[in-house]
Amino acid sequence: MTLKERFKARSRPLIMHPAIFVGSFLLVSLLFATQQWVAAEVWYPRMKVRLLVVASGWAVQYLVWAVCCWTLWFWIGPSLQKANWSYLLMRMLPLSVVLSVGVEMVLAAAFPQFPLGAKPMTFLERLDFGLTDEFLGNMTIFWSVILALRALGYYEESREKERALSQLAVELTQAQMQALRMQINPHFLFNTMNSISSLMQTDVRAADSMLEQLSSMLRITLERGSKQLIRMGEEFEFIELYLALQERRYAGRVHQSVSIEPQLYDALVPAMLLQPLVENAYVHGLSRINTGGILEIEARRDRQRLLVTVRNNGTGLRNGSEPRNGRMGGVGLTNIKNRLQLHFKSDQSLEIREVAPNMVQVEVSIPLVFSDVRETTLVGYGAS
Amino acid sequence: MIHTVIADDEVLARQKLRVLLTAEPDLEIVGEGANGIETTQLVRETHPELLFLDIRMPGMDGFDILEALSVDASESIPKIIFTTAYDSYAIRAFAINAVDYLLKPFTAERLHAAVERAREYLRLVNQTPVPTRDQAASAKRFISRIVFKSRGRILFLPVSDIRCICAEENYVRLSTEHETHLLRETMGRIEEKLDPETFLRVHRSYMVNLQFLKEVRTEKSGELVVVLADGKKVPMSRTYKARMHDLLQG
Repeated sequence: MTLKERFKARSRPLIMHPAIFVGSFLLVSLLFATQQWVAAEVWYPRMKVRLLVVASGWAVQYLVWAVCCWTLWFWIGPSLQKANWSYLLMRMLPLSVVLSVGVEMVLAAAFPQFPLGAKPMTFLERLDFGLTDEFLGNMTIFWSVILALRALGYYEESREKERALSQLAVELTQAQMQALRMQINPHFLFNTMNSISSLMQTDVRAADSMLEQLSSMLRITLERGSKQLIRMGEEFEFIELYLALQERRYAGRVHQSVSIEPQLYDALVPAMLLQPLVENAYVHGLSRINTGGILEIEARRDRQRLLVTVRNNGTGLRNGSEPRNGRMGGVGLTNIKNRLQLHFKSDQSLEIREVAPNMVQVEVSIPLVFSDVRETTLVGYGAS
Repeated sequence: MIHTVIADDEVLARQKLRVLLTAEPDLEIVGEGANGIETTQLVRETHPELLFLDIRMPGMDGFDILEALSVDASESIPKIIFTTAYDSYAIRAFAINAVDYLLKPFTAERLHAAVERAREYLRLVNQTPVPTRDQAASAKRFISRIVFKSRGRILFLPVSDIRCICAEENYVRLSTEHETHLLRETMGRIEEKLDPETFLRVHRSYMVNLQFLKEVRTEKSGELVVVLADGKKVPMSRTYKARMHDLLQG
């Protein structure tokens, strides 16, 4: 970020624009000066205190503070906004003491006639007098600014969170639409229907069960509603139905294997994470070979990470239409990428690579978090 | 002959049941109702033993029909198999002791399994009109069936269909003849609910249904295994073997 860009970024919100920031400091100083001058006129009329002198003293003090604070903001604004207790205590507290003393030194040097009405003093005496009088006031000015900035940080953070949440909802809706589209688009619904139609002539039972599976998938999709994160067990239940349908369509051309560590059944994953990955494996890889297809789906734990991999030995990255490494193509993958980003920020990855000749692997890595909600799906016991 | 009534407001839904039920020689369809009032009348007139009941119908829903029927105490209520597109009534249906709950669209196999279950129910009613006090007590203590959702279907699974139970962390996997189902339950809790006369714990992570137990043998590797009737092998630990020994002795 160039200095110019940074200047622009730091000029927002409006109160932090340097002109307005310094201006409001000067305004406050003027108020204090007027108050002091009026008080002097009323209580010590014989002293003949001049407003200009008083005002210049206050103005210089506040100007120096305004410049210090704004420079600090310009310099380390974001860290101030995210500051925690130890940052405030270890960095800001010493700085506040140094600056408070520094500002008094500037004042003592700039105004040899102060304090008004007293006999002339040396620099050190003026500094001593100023510190006794003003140290707490200076600290108050500095900390008011720091705490206000921190509060601003809180406010922006919560606004950001709100924004991310609403965006998440939109993304999920898209994923759901997509899952529905998968059953309504030529790739899936029509082909499945066509298979059912064909089976109706030859194998009514198979057609029957295929229709039931298709309905179950639709039912599960609708039932999930707008849940963002679901238990891994649910995601795998869904994918098993999808695999059963594909198995029927690809009739022995693809050998599927699914493995999940039992301890991961309750781990949370973004809803509809696997289906687009598996669909991709079929569309871009497995559908292009006639026999000997292998599809491996795996969920495993690596310390505090959850790794989900989908591997297929279709046509490899170069020959297939699978997106190249680093360049994510396809609405399905983009949607997953976006949702991972929204859920886990940078603490996630989605990686596509060829692990062996023609063996393409998609690996998703997310933090391992377990659902703490006691099972809510329907289970009941009865004696009859 | 099992006298059967079909209740559904949709012609094609009734037709599907009628056609598929021709495969069940001992079922006789004595009438079809297209709404609540028709169905209630039909049941009062024909006294069927089995009723296929849609839940959402114009006017009265399936549960209203059952309520209307149960007002008349002299009326014996038929065994119920619900057929519906909605899964939200499953617990209610389970609670009133329905035989099964078929989610539309269902397969011929699924229907056959439901009818098979209804037969068992009716046989039970005929054989033991009044349960003895012991049986009643044990029936209360131990469950005879489980309702749960698996792969988008609702199952009212009789525990007698379970062949073996395997612990997988916070879950148990129930294996039946053709399928396995994952249930959020601990081994200990499900063991408490099951009759120890039928289900035997053979390992920290395994229980088997004694009905399906073929033999216990030692593998070449020296490991103990329980072999089930279908050839499936389940590991057995020494501690549990000792307990089984006691059980057989006693």
